[in-house]
Amino acid sequence: MKCIRVLAAGLGLVAMSLGVSYAQETVPIGELEAQTGPLATYGWINHQGVRLAVEQINKAGGFEVAGKRYRLQLFAPDTRGNPQEALIELKQLLEQDHVQYVFGPFLSNVYDGVEAYATQNNGKFLMMGGATSMHAQLGKPGKDYLIRTWNWDGGPTGFGSAMVSYLKRKGVKRVAMLMQNDAAGKVLVDTYAKIFREQGIQLQVEMFEPGTKDFTAVLAKLAEKKPDYLFPGYADAVLYDIIRQATDSHLFTRFFLVRGSLAPCIKNKAAINDCIVYTPKYFKQAEKTEPKVKAFVAAYRAFYKRDFPYDVAPLCSSACYDHVHMLVAAMQKAGTVSDVAKVKAALMSMHYHGVWDISFHDNEEVFGFDVVDMHKGGAISVIHLDPRKPH
Amino acid sequence: MPQIVLGQLLNGAIVGTLYGILALGVTLTFSITGIVNFALGAFMMTGAYGTWYLTSVHGVPYGLAVPLATLGTAVIGLVADRALFRFTRNDLINGLLVSIGLIGVFDNVTLMIWTSTPHTIDVPVGGSVAVFGVYLPRMKLIVCAVLAAVVGATYFALRHTWAGRAAHSYAQAPEAAELMGVRTEFLQSSVFVYSTALAGLGGALYASLYSIDPTIGGPFVLKAIEGAILAGIGSVLGALIGGIILGVTESVGALFLPLSFGNAYGLVFLVLILLFRPNGLFAGRR
Repeated sequence: MKCIRVLAAGLGLVAMSLGVSYAQETVPIGELEAQTGPLATYGWINHQGVRLAVEQINKAGGFEVAGKRYRLQLFAPDTRGNPQEALIELKQLLEQDHVQYVFGPFLSNVYDGVEAYATQNNGKFLMMGGATSMHAQLGKPGKDYLIRTWNWDGGPTGFGSAMVSYLKRKGVKRVAMLMQNDAAGKVLVDTYAKIFREQGIQLQVEMFEPGTKDFTAVLAKLAEKKPDYLFPGYADAVLYDIIRQATDSHLFTRFFLVRGSLAPCIKNKAAINDCIVYTPKYFKQAEKTEPKVKAFVAAYRAFYKRDFPYDVAPLCSSACYDHVHMLVAAMQKAGTVSDVAKVKAALMSMHYHGVWDISFHDNEEVFGFDVVDMHKGGAISVIHLDPRKPH
Repeated sequence: MPQIVLGQLLNGAIVGTLYGILALGVTLTFSITGIVNFALGAFMMTGAYGTWYLTSVHGVPYGLAVPLATLGTAVIGLVADRALFRFTRNDLINGLLVSIGLIGVFDNVTLMIWTSTPHTIDVPVGGSVAVFGVYLPRMKLIVCAVLAAVVGATYFALRHTWAGRAAHSYAQAPEAAELMGVRTEFLQSSVFVYSTALAGLGGALYASLYSIDPTIGGPFVLKAIEGAILAGIGSVLGALIGGIILGVTESVGALFLPLSFGNAYGLVFLVLILLFRPNGLFAGRR
C-alpha cells in the first residue's frame, strides 16, 4: 500500500511538472553555426553562449510577452562550415522546426550558400549573424530578414579603420596580407586594401587555398620585401600554423589580426615581438571592472563546469549570449513573439547593456571593443575604443 | 633571392620526405598485393591523431607517443588486411573500392570521436638552425632525418635480408617465388601492415609540424601516389626521391607563382616527366 502511495505521489508530481510545461508555450529559435571544423572558432563559442542564455532564461521561468509566458527551445545543428549542409539545416529549421529567429552564421561561405533560400523566405524570419559577406546585403530589397551582429571593419567608424590607425601611429609603412582564398578572405582583402591605401600604408597580398598546411614558401616570398607586420588569415586553425611557421623560420615576428583570437600569438609568445589583435572584449581585464562580465564568466564556469575560455570568448560578441537576451527583450518590447517585423523594429531601436554595450546602425551592430597589443615576452596592453564615440 | 630559393629547396626537401614515406607505402603495397591503397592517407591521419591523443590528452612524452601511435596504426592495418584487403589481392578495382570505402569509415569515426576541429601539439623540440642564413626549424630537420633513415633501413632490409629478397622475387614472379617456398600470404600481409605502419609514422611526425584535422590524409596520399608514379612504381629509394621532387617543386613554385595553385605545380611536373619517361624516373631500379 505504501508503495502504491509513493508511486501515486510520484506520478502526481510528474503530471504537475508536465502540466506546467504544457501551460507555457515555447518559442523555437535556431542557430546556424559551425560548431566543429577548421573554421569553428566563432561558431563553437557562439553556441556555448546561446545555450547558456537559453538555459538561464528557461530556468528563470521563461519570459512574459503580452500576458503569456514563453520558454525558448533551441535547435542548433552543426554546419561544420559546409554551405550545403547549412542549407539543408536552415530548411529544416524554417520548415520543420518552425523557427522564426536564427542566430548565425558567422562564416561568409555559409551565408553565401544559404542566402538565396533565406531571401526566398524574406519576411518570415530574422537572421542575426556576423558573416562578413552579409555587410554588402544589408538594407537591400528582399533582405529585411538580415541583421548583421558584428562591427564592420571599414568606414570612418569601422574597427578595421581604427586598428590600421593604431598601426600607423606605430610608424608602420608596409604590411603583408596572407589570406584564405574564399568568400570571407576576398571580402577582407578588398576591405583592407582600401583602408590601408587611405592611411598611406603599402600592402602586399598573397592568397592560399583552404587546407594549406605548409606556408613557409609564401611566407618567405612575403618577407622578401621586408614588411613591418604580417596580417594573416581569419581563423585560428590556420593562424596557429602560419604564426608558428613564420616565427620558427625567423620570417615574421610582428602580427596584425582582425579575426580569430589572441591564442595563436600567446602560444608562440617567446618568438613574437608584437601581436596586435582586434578583441571585442579582453575578458581578463573586463571581468575585474564590469559586473555583467564577471557574472557571465561565473555563469559560464558553473554551467559548463570548466574553465572560462578567455582566448576565444571575445568572439562571443556575435550572435551569442547577449543576443538571446536582446531577442527576448525585443519580443517583450514589441508585444509579440511571432511578428518578426515588429520584433526587428524593436531590436533596431534598442540600446542593450549586457556583456557588451550594443546598438544598431543600418541593420548592423555597433559595440565598443578592445585592441589588444601583445608585446615581446607576452606583456599585454589594452586600448578600449567605441566606434560611436570620436577617437 | 638566391637565399630564399635555397631556403625553399631545403624546406621542400624536408616536406617531401613526408610525401616520400607515404609513397614508399604505396609502392610496396602495389608491388606485392597488386592494389593502390588510397586508405594510406587515412592510416596517416590515424597515426597523427594517435600521437596527438597520447601527448595532449594523456601527457605521454612525444618520443614514446610516436612508436605507440605507429604500432597502433599497424594493428589497425593488420585488422583491415585480415578483414578486408586479403580478399582483394591482385584485384586493382576491388582494392580501390575497399580502400576508398575505408577512408569514409576512418574519417567518420574520427569526426564522431574528435570532431573536425583542428588540434595542435606542443612542439617537442623548439627553435631553429641557421643554414647559409636560412632558418630551418629543428623539428623539421629531425622529422626529415627519421623518415630518411626509415626509408634507408627499408631499402637495406629489402636488399640484404631473406624476407626482402623474397619480396623482390615475389614482385617479379609470384608463382616462382611460391614454388621456392615463399609464404606468399604471410608476405603480402606483412608488406600491407608495414605500409600502414609507415603511414602511421608519417602521421605521427606530421603532427609535430602542422595542425591536424580529419582531412589531412587525402591530399597527402594523392601526393604520395604522384611521388610513387614520378619515381616509377617499385623503386624504394625512388619513392623518397619522388616525394622530395614534389615537395621541392611545390615550395619553389610557390615563390614564383601564386600559392593558390600550389597543388598544380607537382602535377605539371609529373606530366612533364611522364612525357619523357612514361614508366617514371627510376623504373626498373629497386
